[in-house]
Formats: sequence, structure tokens, C-alpha cells
Amino acid sequence: MSMFAHTETNARSRLPGGKALGGLLQRLGLGGRGLVIAIPTLWLLLFFLIPFLVVAKISLSEAAIARPPYLPIWEWDDGLLNINLNFGNYLFLLEDPLYLSAYLESIKIAGISTLIALLIGYPMAYLIARSPENQRNILLMLVVLPFWTSFLLRVYAWIGFLKANGIINNFLLWTGIIDEPLIMLQTDFAVYVGIVYSYLPFMILPLYANLVKLDQSYIEASADLGARPVTTFLTVTLPLSASGIIAGCMLVFIPAVGEFVIPALLGGPDTLMIGRVLWDEFFSNRDWPIASAVAIVMLFVLVIPIMMLRKAQAVEEGAS
Amino acid sequence: MSEGQLTTDAKPWADPNATPFLQIKNITKKFGAFVAVENVSLDIYKGEIFCLLGGSGCGKSTLLRMLAGFETPTSGQIIVDGQDQAGIPPYARPTNMMFQSYALFPHMTVEKNIAYGLKRDGLPKNEIATRVTEMLSLVQMDQFAARKPHQLSGGQRQRVALARALVKKPKLLMLDEPLGALDKKLREETQFELIKIQESLGVTFVVVTHDQEEAMTLSSRIGVMTAGEIIQTGTPHEIYEYPQSRFVADFIGSVNMFEGRVIEDGKDHVVISSKELGGDIYVPHGISGVEGQKMAVAVRPEKVRISRTDLGEMRNKVSGTIDEIAYMGNSSVFQVRLDSGKRVRVSQSNLTRDDDDALRWDDKVWVGWADDAGVVVAS
Repeated sequence: MSMFAHTETNARSRLPGGKALGGLLQRLGLGGRGLVIAIPTLWLLLFFLIPFLVVAKISLSEAAIARPPYLPIWEWDDGLLNINLNFGNYLFLLEDPLYLSAYLESIKIAGISTLIALLIGYPMAYLIARSPENQRNILLMLVVLPFWTSFLLRVYAWIGFLKANGIINNFLLWTGIIDEPLIMLQTDFAVYVGIVYSYLPFMILPLYANLVKLDQSYIEASADLGARPVTTFLTVTLPLSASGIIAGCMLVFIPAVGEFVIPALLGGPDTLMIGRVLWDEFFSNRDWPIASAVAIVMLFVLVIPIMMLRKAQAVEEGAS
Repeated sequence: MSEGQLTTDAKPWADPNATPFLQIKNITKKFGAFVAVENVSLDIYKGEIFCLLGGSGCGKSTLLRMLAGFETPTSGQIIVDGQDQAGIPPYARPTNMMFQSYALFPHMTVEKNIAYGLKRDGLPKNEIATRVTEMLSLVQMDQFAARKPHQLSGGQRQRVALARALVKKPKLLMLDEPLGALDKKLREETQFELIKIQESLGVTFVVVTHDQEEAMTLSSRIGVMTAGEIIQTGTPHEIYEYPQSRFVADFIGSVNMFEGRVIEDGKDHVVISSKELGGDIYVPHGISGVEGQKMAVAVRPEKVRISRTDLGEMRNKVSGTIDEIAYMGNSSVFQVRLDSGKRVRVSQSNLTRDDDDALRWDDKVWVGWADDAGVVVAS
């Protein structure tokens, strides 16, 4: 390590004028490697950490009819610094069962949607990965194709499918399978359809990336040792694609928990998801501190399972 | 000694009454218009180590994959122990395979890898445990039972792969380049271990390899493959000393090849005149040729004698100049440029440590070989 650092400094000192700057960066712990990491770190700092701290700050203030609609949490008054931290917003979230049930409902809907997306996405990813090489890119493009249309538009299109005199009901009535239209729109069912449909590519892509790398000789070795195809799938393919499954599930589950548009457009009045609660607090009630507290709690609800999954993944990667 | 094991003298392939254990009958495999394996027929007997030897793309791996059931023959028949294998999926075949990449399951420990096949057969737990332990000690991997494949060296992985393939006591074990991933020293050690294990278990081995040295040391018989066909089958000795074609002579070991035409067809000999050699070659027996027919004589470098002085009575001799000397330790290889311009390879064992009279570059020498040292191959 030290040998590399040494040659690096030597190389830099040969550049005219670069010596001083290089030396400074080196002293700050920013060698070539550090600089590469510095850019994304700066990005995350600017666009994630600072907004997060702003929201965290608002969540600790008191609501007010003002502009902005909350009181500052610190005041400088005659040489006296007054800091007022209001934890009442968080206590309020605990008191009112609405929030707790919204969190649980969101997690439930996101969880079930993730599971359905996995059940649909896995076979699709598997087949794409096993199809001839020249066809894979076309199939992958078909998976991504819906992204070329606006997300909002695609969710709206589902209203046309699901409503009482929509395409599905009309077709079923025409075939005579049903006598009166099914109520699908503004139900949890419609929310599941919307979420699974919208996030399916996020499930398929990481699974595909994982499965395409899966060495075919493992499958053959398993068959050779006497395992039927189903056993091979369960004992070899599935465990070896675990990291793809985890990645796909996280990519679907996390945005689905905070989803606002799909439950708002397709869900019924009793579909209580945290995204909608957040929206209502911000825009209908104009209670920014409560809304911020809801957002912060949501973040922690998501961060903890993510961290647990990351840890599991790290352990697994260390082993393979 | 277990039943079915080949003693060194037994030659079941030479016995017309012996029943082959594995019969390959007119197997052809086409991928689209490409013919990977063409009309191969082969009988392999119980307890043999049969090597399919050939360069890459010669169809040897495809043939092996058909035996394992991963590929379906376009036409032909594979019979193992009297049972036609057509339509039997890989998981139901009485054969096992050791993969070139070893294909050890990365998410399982050594122990679980070996137990995998036994579990699929639904054996009771304690029997699985006993057999896995037996296998582990056979391949000397006892201490590594709890390791994952990525924690093992190449040689250790090779042992685990072998153990995993053998633990089910297959009737036939196929090995795809079993030693290919090992370095030279380890390869030599492992070769002998492999033979020892094969002998102690009495399993029939079919080995695919491109390494002729590996084929020579391991096998009871070798089938040399090229362009999808087996062009010669025989014991390592037969293949080396009696190649039937130029390709085989050239592929196994190194060889000096002299082209020529028959100028004299005697009762017990022929004489071939070779412009390349700048002289006549006397071949005592075994072939018949019409005068004027084109032929080639193959002579192995170690069978060529080299000397500063005339080789006396020797009939096949020419003179030349030493162009190059490669000292290999146990032997030296000389490149001799003949007066005709052709280069001849001669190898000589280094029998003493120092030789004051050793041959040097640019020495004028005679090279020659005994009457029966050369093999006539179809030209």
C-alpha cells in the first residue's frame, strides 16, 4: 500500500505546478482513490443529507399560520440562544392510530406487491437469461419499453382497463362469464395491479443480471448428480440467485411503501397508504412539522430493513 | 483387489468374447449444418480408463456430453451395461461426470457438495454421513469438510469434485479435462492418485483431454479424435509406436516425417526414396506398396542416433550440421540441418553429468536410425 502511495507521489511531482496541489490533496486524504469517492459523496451530501436535515429540522418545530408554516427552532435574542425542540409531532404520530395503521398498511401492500412482482418477474428474468444471446437485448428492451411513456399516463391507462365499463369488464360481459361488472377500480386490488405493473421492470432487471451470470455447469452438475429439474431449481438456482432476489425486492419494496400516485388514482377511499397521508398533511392540512415527522419515521421504517438486508448480503457475498 | 479391475496384462478389447461395458454405436451429432461428432463407434470395457484425446473443437467434449445426457445424439446408440441410454434424462443415468470447471456448488460446503448426490437418492442420513466421510478420507480432504469451495486451492477443488462424482458409485465416471486446471507438478502427483483411486474402486473411467501426456499416463486405451471422428484407438504404446496416420504420429509426441516414393518393393522390405532426406529409407516389413507410391516415414526423435563419426552398418543414415541444441536437463534435443536442408529433431538422454566430448553447435554429424525405428504412415 505504502509502496503504491509512494509511486503515486513521485508521478505527481513530475507534473509542473501539480506538486503543491497534489501534496495538499494528499494531506487531506484525497489521493486518486479518495477523489473518485469524493464526487458521489458530495452529491449525496448535497441532495440527500442536507434536504434530510432540513426535513428533520422542520419535524422538530411547531406548526404556525405563517410563511413558512412553522416556527423556527432556534432564536437569537439579546445574546441568548433559545432552542425549542418540539417532539410533540412524533408523540402525536404515536397517539393517533391513523398513522400507525397507515404505516402498517403501506408495508403490507408494498410487501405483497413485491412478492407478486417476484413471482411474475423471476420466470420472466429466467427465460430472458436462458434465451439465445441475440434475442436477450430485444426481450430486455420490451421489459423497459413502458418507461418510454409517462408513469402517470400508464397509471391512468389502468383506470380505463379496470373501471366498471372499462375494457376488462366489457370483455367479460361480452363473453358471458359475468352478468354485472366487477368492481375493481378504487379497491386494494387495483392498487396491487398498479404497483406490480409499474415496478415489475425493477424486479426483472437485477434478477436478469444475476441469472445471466449463473454458470450453466452448476445446473448440469446438479442434474448429473440425480436432481430433477425442480430440485435443481430449489437447491441450486434459487440460492445462487439470492442476491438478485434481494436487490429486486428492495428496488420494488422501497418505492412502493412511499407510493402516492397509484393509491391516489387507483385506490379506494379506505386504501390508507403513508404516501397519501403525507400528501394530505403537507398540502391539505398545511401541517409541515407533522408531515416532516411522518417522512422521517418512514425513512427509518425503510432504513432498518435495508440495513439488515445489506448485512445479510455482505455475509453472503463474502461466502461466494 | 476389487472385482472388475483391469490387471496390467488383461486386454478385454482383444478378447472377442468379452462384452463391452459401454457401447457407442454410430453416434453422430450435428449442430445445424456443423457436424460435431461423426459416426463414432467405440467399445469400452469394465475397469478401463479410456481417454478421448484431441485438440479443441474435435468433438470429444460433445461426445462426453452425449454420454452424460446433456446432448441428444442426432443418430446412433449409447448402451451402458446393456441398457440403451436413449431418452433417459441426465438425472436418471447410472453415470456421473466430473466437470472441467469442477462446478462445485459455491453456496455449499465441501461436505454438502459431496452429499448432494446421495441426498437426491433419498438415502438415510447416517448412511450419507458414512459415505461422505469415506470419500473425504479417500481424497484426503477430511480436514476441509466444512470449507466452502472458494476457500480451497485448485488441487483441493479437484479432489472434492472427484469425490462428489464418485460418491454415488457410478457405473461409469466421465472426467472432462480432470487435471487441466492444475499446475504441472500437481498434475503429475494427481495423475497417479487418480489411477490409484480408480483401481481401488473399480469404476470405469472415460476421460476427455487435449493433453497427450495426461492421456499416456492415465489411460488403458486412447481414442484419438479429430474433426468429429475417432481416427485411431489403441493402448498408449500402440498409439505412440504404431501410429496409423500422419495426424496421430504428429499429435502424440514429436516426430520427424520424411516424404518419399517407393522405389523397391522387396519380399521382406521396401525402400523409399526421400528427396527431403536426401537418401533412401529402408523399411523391413509390415507394409506393401506399389513402386512409385507416395509414402511417409515417421521417426521419433529419441530413436534417432547422432554421432560425429559415421554410423557404420546403419542403413538409414544421413549427414548434417547441428543447428540448435536445447538442454532439457534429463535430455538434450538437437536440431540437425541435413545437407538436403530438412531439419531433423534428435533427442538424447543425458546419461552423465558432464561430457567433455559433448556435441556442440555447428558440429558436422551423422544421424541415423535402425531399420525398424521408422513407421510408415499413409501420406
